[in-house]
Amino acid sequence: MTTVMTPARRRAAIEEAAARVLIDPENSRVAARLLADEIAEEAAAGGVREFSESVAATHAAGLVQDGLAAFVAEHAAALDALIAPGADDVFEYFGLRTVYDRYLLRHPVTRKVLERPQHFFLRVACGLAGTVAEAEELYRLMAGLSYLPSSPTLFNAGARRPQLSSCFLLDSPRDELESIYERYGQVARLSKYAGGIGISWTRVRSRGSLIRGTNGHSNGIVPWLRTLDASVAAVNQGGRRKGAACVYLEPWHADVEEFLELRDNTGEDARRTHNLNLANWIPDEFMRRVEEDGVWSLFDPKEVPELTDLWGAEFDAAYRAAEAAGRYTGQVRARALYGRMMRTLAQTGNGWMTFKDAANRTSNQTALPANVIHLSNLCTEILEVTGDTETAVCNLGSVNLAAHLSGGDGGDGDGEAAGMDWARLRRTVRTAVRVLDRTIDLGYYPTPEAERANRKWRPVGLGVMGLADVFFALRLPFDSPRARELSARIAEEVALAAYGASAELAEELGAHPAYPDTRAAAGVLHPDHYPDAVPAHPAEWAALRARVAVTGLRNSLLVAIAPTATIASIAGCYECIEPQVSNVFKRETLSGEFLQVNRYLVADLKARGRWTGEVRDAIKRADGSVQDIAEIPGELRTLYRTAWELPQKALIDLAAARQPYIDQGQALNLFMASPTIGKLSSMYAYAWRAGLKTTYYLRSRPATRIAQTTVSPVAEVLPADAVACSLENPEICEACQ
Amino acid sequence: MNEPMLLDPGMDLTLRPMRYPDFYERYRAAIRNTWTVEEVDLHSDLADLARMSDRERHLINRLVAFFATGDSIVANNLVLNLYQHVNAPEARLYLSRQLFEEAVHVQFYLTLLDTYLPDHDERARAFAAVEHIPSIRAKAEFCFRWIDSLGGLRRLETREDRRAFLLNLICFAACIEGLFFYGAFAYVYWFRSRGLLGGLATGTNWVFRDESMHMEFAFSVVDTVRAEEPGLFDDELGAQVVTMMEEAVAAELAFALDLCGDGDDLGRMSAARMRLYLEYVADRRLARLGLPTRYGSANPFAFMELQDVQELANFFERRVSAYQVGVVGDVTLDEAF
Repeated sequence: MTTVMTPARRRAAIEEAAARVLIDPENSRVAARLLADEIAEEAAAGGVREFSESVAATHAAGLVQDGLAAFVAEHAAALDALIAPGADDVFEYFGLRTVYDRYLLRHPVTRKVLERPQHFFLRVACGLAGTVAEAEELYRLMAGLSYLPSSPTLFNAGARRPQLSSCFLLDSPRDELESIYERYGQVARLSKYAGGIGISWTRVRSRGSLIRGTNGHSNGIVPWLRTLDASVAAVNQGGRRKGAACVYLEPWHADVEEFLELRDNTGEDARRTHNLNLANWIPDEFMRRVEEDGVWSLFDPKEVPELTDLWGAEFDAAYRAAEAAGRYTGQVRARALYGRMMRTLAQTGNGWMTFKDAANRTSNQTALPANVIHLSNLCTEILEVTGDTETAVCNLGSVNLAAHLSGGDGGDGDGEAAGMDWARLRRTVRTAVRVLDRTIDLGYYPTPEAERANRKWRPVGLGVMGLADVFFALRLPFDSPRARELSARIAEEVALAAYGASAELAEELGAHPAYPDTRAAAGVLHPDHYPDAVPAHPAEWAALRARVAVTGLRNSLLVAIAPTATIASIAGCYECIEPQVSNVFKRETLSGEFLQVNRYLVADLKARGRWTGEVRDAIKRADGSVQDIAEIPGELRTLYRTAWELPQKALIDLAAARQPYIDQGQALNLFMASPTIGKLSSMYAYAWRAGLKTTYYLRSRPATRIAQTTVSPVAEVLPADAVACSLENPEICEACQ
Repeated sequence: MNEPMLLDPGMDLTLRPMRYPDFYERYRAAIRNTWTVEEVDLHSDLADLARMSDRERHLINRLVAFFATGDSIVANNLVLNLYQHVNAPEARLYLSRQLFEEAVHVQFYLTLLDTYLPDHDERARAFAAVEHIPSIRAKAEFCFRWIDSLGGLRRLETREDRRAFLLNLICFAACIEGLFFYGAFAYVYWFRSRGLLGGLATGTNWVFRDESMHMEFAFSVVDTVRAEEPGLFDDELGAQVVTMMEEAVAAELAFALDLCGDGDDLGRMSAARMRLYLEYVADRRLARLGLPTRYGSANPFAFMELQDVQELANFFERRVSAYQVGVVGDVTLDEAF
């Protein structure tokens, strides 16, 4: 079929198949196969058929390193033989399309691809490996969509400037002009190579503060953040995506209220930053004041500089002393400010709630008072120490849990899975950690501050994706106790294997240079901060502790749950630890819009002969919900609830149950279709009490929606009596109560 | 017939007891979806425009020329006809809000043309398209004819006056917002489905959301009037609506031919397919009014299905539009969530 197709005909067939994934999700595979043919032809037109030819071509075009080209040339036959025919069949259309549009290396002038999808995986593997055997091990994991490194690594592994890290965390500029401009420069250089930026602004003086040099008064932090906003928007990440940054501020900073308005779409535009993300870095003292409905004092960091570098009891004491001494610029009701934070979350999704004390108290890096975590990153999963000359860095990768189901089919939805294949999961984690650790040495660092910190602490962030796939395959509703147990067990298995791999690396290569300054050096591992946690493998933890006491650890931090937006698309699984948002939805990305459907639901309904046009329309009319569709059995409706329909308490409980095994943070989105201040304030207070270190976006729904064009209308004309009813009794219609 | 009715002449000012709480809820829902033109990044589209074929660029230039005047026409009719005669303060609240939204749309398309057409002469020609491009002029004339159809009537005194008003209302909801704009949106989403013109598509999503609500409001006015005065919307009026819809389809089809030519060289977009799409949409409008469908065509644009389902944006890549303004309540720590 494929050999006789003209390019135009094939493109039309791809579009048609892609648009029909709702009727049958298999159409996604059909479209993917056609696209794979198209890619292969495009590469062949540039002389690329085998992997070694692809590396030769990209090297000739100046895209990859000499070292990689030499390695591949030397082992050409062995490497070429690794790619099996039909290897591209694992892709869904959206995943392959994403790879094609965004990841494959292209000729600088013609813009035609110079590699195929499998060449891309193997190029990344060779870029990160030292030997053919290592390259094969990593390639097999990627080709099976079992593990994927984060996007910067996929973009740049083997490239001439291999910036491989996802996240950079910059300490707040010092409270002086030169430092502020120095930070803009760092942000720009880091953004250029596809890094996401987190930066604190807590040290910079607030509005009205005296400027001694000129005897004038400061305009506060907003004008500086406007400049940061413009600078971030100006730097395009290697032409692939827009720069992105998140600014962190502690809530005692006197400009906090203006900070919370930065993303509003009303008001004076000169005080808005449309490109920056915002996060609150919240000490426990603030939440306690909210609980007791107390007063909250606001300070100018120029007058009270000590608060930024303190946490826990020392912070509490310093804060209260400054308060007692009347050093504040103003006071508010803690609940008034907290309510303002909730409003920002509801209106913009921004203003993430992240918790300073939990982050510092449980971090392996903060054993010494001089080492303080001042912020999280752009996606709230990284928690690392920063300082004026130390920019924290993290290299990320995520294990696809859906590919580690045992029995059945590995999560395709058309066979029963029995449980998790723990042994395979641990093998994957071990390989992943070894590769992530190697990435630290291979990476190009755009700034010396980043390189210094990364070589000293050697943190990595191994995460997971596809948790919702696992729950669907094993028929566990998200809010069931068994789901919570399984999710915690997965986190524990990942942590054990990751720490084991890091201890093994320390044995081979030595502990990371700052190891003596960590809590692990004093015998404390992350789960020890959670005395209530009940590990499934206490003996293994004891053995690990004994081993670490001898070997040390190669990495100061190992686990972080990143959002995995793009790599989950490639893997064709649900994002990280998230529930599904809808049984039918579209993904919008830079490469277009793509229809997605819950293939587990489709398989279940097909098996019952109920995947009909009527049911599809009903699901679309219900905006992706199956709750009110009588044709769908009750247990399926329970299983296939969407994020909007699950109690959010369950999401927080799951996160809290796995937190003992996540030594950094979790990019935990929360969902509320129609948020109110009351519900939000209860929810985030609960998240804090549950011991979460961070939360991420608040997702909510538009108040109105586009009229549907492809769903047949049902009873759109109001029956006359319904109109009459609302006319007669306009305030409350009791007949309908 | 002593109960006050929605189309009674006059200036009702009493909000309590409220006769049409549904209109007021529509007003409140619309406010929660406030967006501003500044949130849309149109400059990212310039690279796409630069690599388009001449045929595609012709299409997009014509399309933006239509956008240059479309919402202004709707806003004018709102002020000249609708606001005068829909006599309930809560309905006028909604119309005031709609007028604001039309203003935002006008501003959006102004910004769009200023961005897409850096050449000042070309820009001026696009804004004057309603004068000199026949396919756009024909659509505008259709609109003007219906704006004038009420003949500047200040009060709806007779049954015939009310029927004329209904026709005007249905024309703007079903034919102009519900067909002309829907046609235009389909071109935008066709580009979007191919990964092109993301900025325009973002703004269009929001315009589309607003227009959907305008149309639904107008239809619920029609429902209300029909319930209050049974028999007003009779077969004769129904036949007039169908004729009007046929004219609108013809005008929009002429526009499609101007945009796409009569060949198949744009892939999935062509005048022939657009005809089916317009007929399909027109049938839905007629069905919404309780009239028999006229064409029986199926939707040929599978990519429009993408507009019917929830979006899940990758926040690195585009601004998420799914937030509400106007959130209420006080801090409490023990609510269920």
